[in-house]
Amino acid sequence: MTVADTSLGWHQATTDTRGRHATSEVSRLPVSVVAASAAIGVLVVAAAYTAGRLGYASSAWADRTYWLGQAFIVVPTAVRLLGRRALTSGETVTLITVLTVAEYLVIVCYSPTGFTFVDELEHWRGTVDILQTGKLFTVNYMLPISPDYPGLEEVTSALASITGLSIFTAGLMVAGVAHLLFVWVLYVLFREFSGSYRVAGVAVLCYATNVHFASFDSMFVYQTLALPFFGLTLLATWRLSALEAPGQRVGWLTVAVLAIAATVVTHHVTSYLLAATLLVISLAELVMRGWRTAAWAAMLALLSAVAAAGWLVFAAPETWAYLQPFADGTMDSLRAFFAGGHSSVPPSADPLGNRVLAAGAVLIMAVLLPVGWWQVWRTYRKQPWIVVMAIASVSWYLIVAIRFTVADGSELAGRASTFTYVPAALIAALAIGHLVGATAHRRVRNMAVPVLVGVLLLMFDGLANGWPPFWERLPGPYQVAGSERSVGPEEIATARWTLSALGPGNRFATDLGSFSVLGSYGYQNPLQDVAYLYTSPAFTPSVAAQAQAQGLRYIWVDQRLSQSLPASGQYFTDDPNAGKYTRPLPEADLGKFNQSAGLARVYDSGNIVIYELAEP
Amino acid sequence: MHRQADLAITAAVAVLACTAAALGAPVAVTAVLGIAVLVAPGYLLGQLLFGSRIADLERVAVVTGLALCVPILGGLLLYAFGLPLHRAAWLSLLAGATLIGDLALFLRRRGGQATPFSWHPAAGRPPGPHVVAFGAAVVIAICAVGLACVGAAVQHYPGFTQLWLAHPNQNADTADLGIGNYEGKTMRYRLVLKRNGHTAATWNLTLANGQTWQRSPAYSGGIAAYLYTLPDLAQPYRYVAIDANGAPGS
Repeated sequence: MTVADTSLGWHQATTDTRGRHATSEVSRLPVSVVAASAAIGVLVVAAAYTAGRLGYASSAWADRTYWLGQAFIVVPTAVRLLGRRALTSGETVTLITVLTVAEYLVIVCYSPTGFTFVDELEHWRGTVDILQTGKLFTVNYMLPISPDYPGLEEVTSALASITGLSIFTAGLMVAGVAHLLFVWVLYVLFREFSGSYRVAGVAVLCYATNVHFASFDSMFVYQTLALPFFGLTLLATWRLSALEAPGQRVGWLTVAVLAIAATVVTHHVTSYLLAATLLVISLAELVMRGWRTAAWAAMLALLSAVAAAGWLVFAAPETWAYLQPFADGTMDSLRAFFAGGHSSVPPSADPLGNRVLAAGAVLIMAVLLPVGWWQVWRTYRKQPWIVVMAIASVSWYLIVAIRFTVADGSELAGRASTFTYVPAALIAALAIGHLVGATAHRRVRNMAVPVLVGVLLLMFDGLANGWPPFWERLPGPYQVAGSERSVGPEEIATARWTLSALGPGNRFATDLGSFSVLGSYGYQNPLQDVAYLYTSPAFTPSVAAQAQAQGLRYIWVDQRLSQSLPASGQYFTDDPNAGKYTRPLPEADLGKFNQSAGLARVYDSGNIVIYELAEP
Repeated sequence: MHRQADLAITAAVAVLACTAAALGAPVAVTAVLGIAVLVAPGYLLGQLLFGSRIADLERVAVVTGLALCVPILGGLLLYAFGLPLHRAAWLSLLAGATLIGDLALFLRRRGGQATPFSWHPAAGRPPGPHVVAFGAAVVIAICAVGLACVGAAVQHYPGFTQLWLAHPNQNADTADLGIGNYEGKTMRYRLVLKRNGHTAATWNLTLANGQTWQRSPAYSGGIAAYLYTLPDLAQPYRYVAIDANGAPGS
């Protein structure tokens, strides 16, 4: 397949059939050296993580070592992709693959012996259930909706079953392959849309600047697996709409149907966005090209909508109840935004550097997108897919506005970035291609360096403001009400004890840090609205009545809640005092259960005590 | 290369994967064969649908995507037919899909509707220094993951001792009393069981790190257990109590 750089002035080069720019400018930074540098970067990050585990998690030099490692990964890749030197399509693919794999290995190195992130533990539990029972749609107390979308657990349990590998290893393989597959499909889509593999490479680089790229989108969570099917469906639709190769229609139609089905049974939101995206594309095709090209997208939009709706009604009716709070929150956020809800935004607890990076990144993207739109108008305005991308990229501004002006906006913005960055990355890459290409054309270099610096700033913003958060950048000792650092041997052993001694599915009260461990390793049913139990000075009859009304059976009390402020800003999953704590919980508030009638102290491991409430 | 070599290889993989599972082969063997048999249906489906008509990266993406679709959609089908999703079912699904794909592709090739297998290695070999650099990158990356694993293994966590006294089954005549030593060293304990404040039993125990100890004492109200680390008998190290409001030492 020949892909020619017809639109961008990157060296003003044409491409031959092997996708090589016809230029004599050969880079002094071979792709193989970039790969070696990225590997060294992973090694340096692993060293920083090891330092954190050995007691230096809070030291400045360990933190700097982490960022040095990230620089080894990111900088050479960006330099090579954005440079003016010759680059083949194969080298471009290698570069984006190196970047994706290196960042994935960084995630693996953070937690190399088992899942510790809450969402991963939820899906780990679901996979264990399939392996143990041989059944789908079993109960998952932590994420009740996940058994209704079993795609990830099916693939992982299949791989673990037939290979004999652990669920953790199989899960890492599935998530890693799915993440890389999504990046490759994105690259192919961007290449087809823009007609330039170089722009496609830069677009993937821009996509990698979204805060979830190196974390949530590559973790062992169901969205990670649904994303490549989302991309494959779009690719198949593109091929069908192009009508270039009638002999391949059956093939692409089969791919589209299978990918739609896989998306629908793997992740709810992704399947709905897939239907919406196909609908918008079909409308754009209809307006700009006519019904013949629009028909394929329209048919697949209808198919995906029917499949998603059918699954929702017949297999996963609880989905709406699960998504409704998110939908309500989103609507509240939008209402607050349009009402000018500036006062509702709590002051950020992020370090100044993170906030500066975030502000700088927003500024850069805000400038790049209009330049990209201009390029779309100049060169691509008759291409429906790119026009759709340009229109969809406006959503990036809306998400940014919500992020900075609405309470809890960061959560929504982060989750939405996986999808909003697809069009935004392509439009930004068109802008970058124009800026760097124009620079090369004029034989001046005054724009190339600022563009590189700008893209690097975007990359480091995505890393700094993504996951893990700054307060758990490096692994280390236990943190009260944290995330991965709240998962340690004592918590896991206690959770396992609850399963073996008490049986599964008991309704538990617990703090934020132990929530995921108890629900996964313990297979218990931890409730969210339990802060009142820990913050009341006495176990009064009204408190006992409230606990009884919730059907609570056990209370997990971590004595360390009285020793440290919560790393995450909140002690409990649903904490009315989140972000307002100025001192740890009083020791007496946690010790009150020892003197309370109707409670049995059934477990004691020093830091953790479990009380059993009398049955009504 | 033989015109049907890919069919022979995928069929062999399917058969070997089933054989290895039946014989209880080591994980190193089942892992390689398992991954291969997971990929094989995707490859064959890609061949059936496209042959060699799509480009390299697109082909890899499509084959990988199709390979992932098989257990997702096939697993649902198996479940719909009431088959438990254990190893035998997964192997039957994947090996069966592979063999059916082999047969379908063989027939299409024989009928001239599909192109035979051909292998075209990339023209020219990459320069030696590049191969060395890529090789070094792989080795360094493996070392990085190894370092992370070692770091996780040597991370120091405070040791702890579990003591439990549970009576989850209200109809049971006995309670579950137990100790788990995770202090990182051998510990000497004294465990005192009390009923209504009176000592009912005492055990002196030596538990190695990771060792547990369990008993099932008769259940009654006002039962409590106090664990001491020898030789300190002044303050209980852990305590548990059922149906008692007792503070330490009560």
